[in-house]
Amino acid sequence: MIVLSGRDLNKEYISRDRKVRPLQHVDFDLHQGEILGIVGESGSGKSTLLKVISGIEKPDSGMLYHLDKEYTGSKPEKTGKFLQMIFQDAYGSFDPKMNMEKSLKEGTASDRNEIVRVIGEVGLSEDLLDRRPRHLSGGQCQRMSIARALLSHADVLLCDEITSALDVTTQAQVIKLLMEIRDMENVSIILVSHDLALVSMICDRIMVMKDGVVVEEGKTEDVINKPSDEYTRKLLNSIIAV
Amino acid sequence: MLAPNDPYATNSSLIRQAPSAAYLFGTDNLGRCVLSRVLVGARTTIASTFFLVAVSFLIGIIIGMLCGFYGGIVDDILMRVADLMLAFPQMVVAIAVAGILGGGLGGAMIALGITMWTSFARLARSHTLSIKNEPYITAARLQGKSGLQIMMTHIMPNILEPVLINALTQIGTTMIGISGLSFLGLGVVAPQAEWGSMISEARAYIQIAPWAVLFPAAATVITIVVFNYLGDAVMEYRKAE
Repeated sequence: MIVLSGRDLNKEYISRDRKVRPLQHVDFDLHQGEILGIVGESGSGKSTLLKVISGIEKPDSGMLYHLDKEYTGSKPEKTGKFLQMIFQDAYGSFDPKMNMEKSLKEGTASDRNEIVRVIGEVGLSEDLLDRRPRHLSGGQCQRMSIARALLSHADVLLCDEITSALDVTTQAQVIKLLMEIRDMENVSIILVSHDLALVSMICDRIMVMKDGVVVEEGKTEDVINKPSDEYTRKLLNSIIAV
Repeated sequence: MLAPNDPYATNSSLIRQAPSAAYLFGTDNLGRCVLSRVLVGARTTIASTFFLVAVSFLIGIIIGMLCGFYGGIVDDILMRVADLMLAFPQMVVAIAVAGILGGGLGGAMIALGITMWTSFARLARSHTLSIKNEPYITAARLQGKSGLQIMMTHIMPNILEPVLINALTQIGTTMIGISGLSFLGLGVVAPQAEWGSMISEARAYIQIAPWAVLFPAAATVITIVVFNYLGDAVMEYRKAE
């Protein structure tokens, strides 16, 4: 079943007197319980695509659907009912003046017991609820972001470079957690990353973007083993070279 | 309560008495106790200053947050109005407005308040602009929070500190403004005790009874210095944090 889809999405803006087109005729489908990886170098349009999907930015043209229901142009206040975002800057995604309990309670009717249960699921203890974000580690903060997304009972998680600010050990823990959550809650995940190696490890399908265009899309093993686009081959070669 | 004598009681036998044990700050041209008038005047001057700064702060922070958060035409209009206010020296505008409104403390406060909100609004707007694209604001939007809720629960607490420190540093300026307008006869009017109007009244006989000018002037200067130091200290403390 397709949970989320986009058709012919386009976006352009003017930056320093230059026309930039971060999205050009982008199509995507996200199936239930699937992890879709979006890879590409900086400026390829992957983060803009997440902003458009979440309603933070409006597409200039194109359509977005959630369970076959169109939601193009809906604001984040509405899209938040079915999707949640996990940010690259885990600390920045929590109000520095609020403790974790208040932050987690924001978009949910859940009581403290429910919150404690969910943060237990992501491997955190109750005593962290009284702390402010700056008193948590990067990994703990990112786990709190995942807990917040789970508390809102969203079908879709949008993960924007969620491991790039973490150390290698914590990266592995967060990725493992993400996979466990997919299996437990059957949520669908879009994982944006510039790290093709990471994406190829955990994603069911991969979408490769370059200059706002989807240059290749398919099952992970197909994209990794039989890349059809020159740009994908270059990305793969760069991993092998490393 | 602290005043040793009735600040409004005149006594023809005590006109322009030098400071003594009975009248620590001496008496004025109508035989009124200067110490009592300075103490009662403090209530008028400080209370009106606090009230004016608080109201301007509140109006400024609300307008600044609305402009910064929503932007658009409302922001353009309000910020051009603020620019217009800031284009003239505050005291010049205040004198003109107070002149139109006539004398009285209320008129003086309105005259000063017309320009004062702009500095708070500008500051609140710039801080709002700098945090409105933070991920935690986006996260709050995705949690279903409305613009008003986000402003009250996320933006206000995060911009309050710098704007509040600015308010502290404005207290001295505002006090000078209120006392200045009263000195010019555009603020508090006689016989109400207020430091600016006391200085204005007593300057006519400054050579015969300098204490009647000296003590309210000293009270004004000391209070302004104290509040300026307080503002600076809080700012330093925040920087050190």
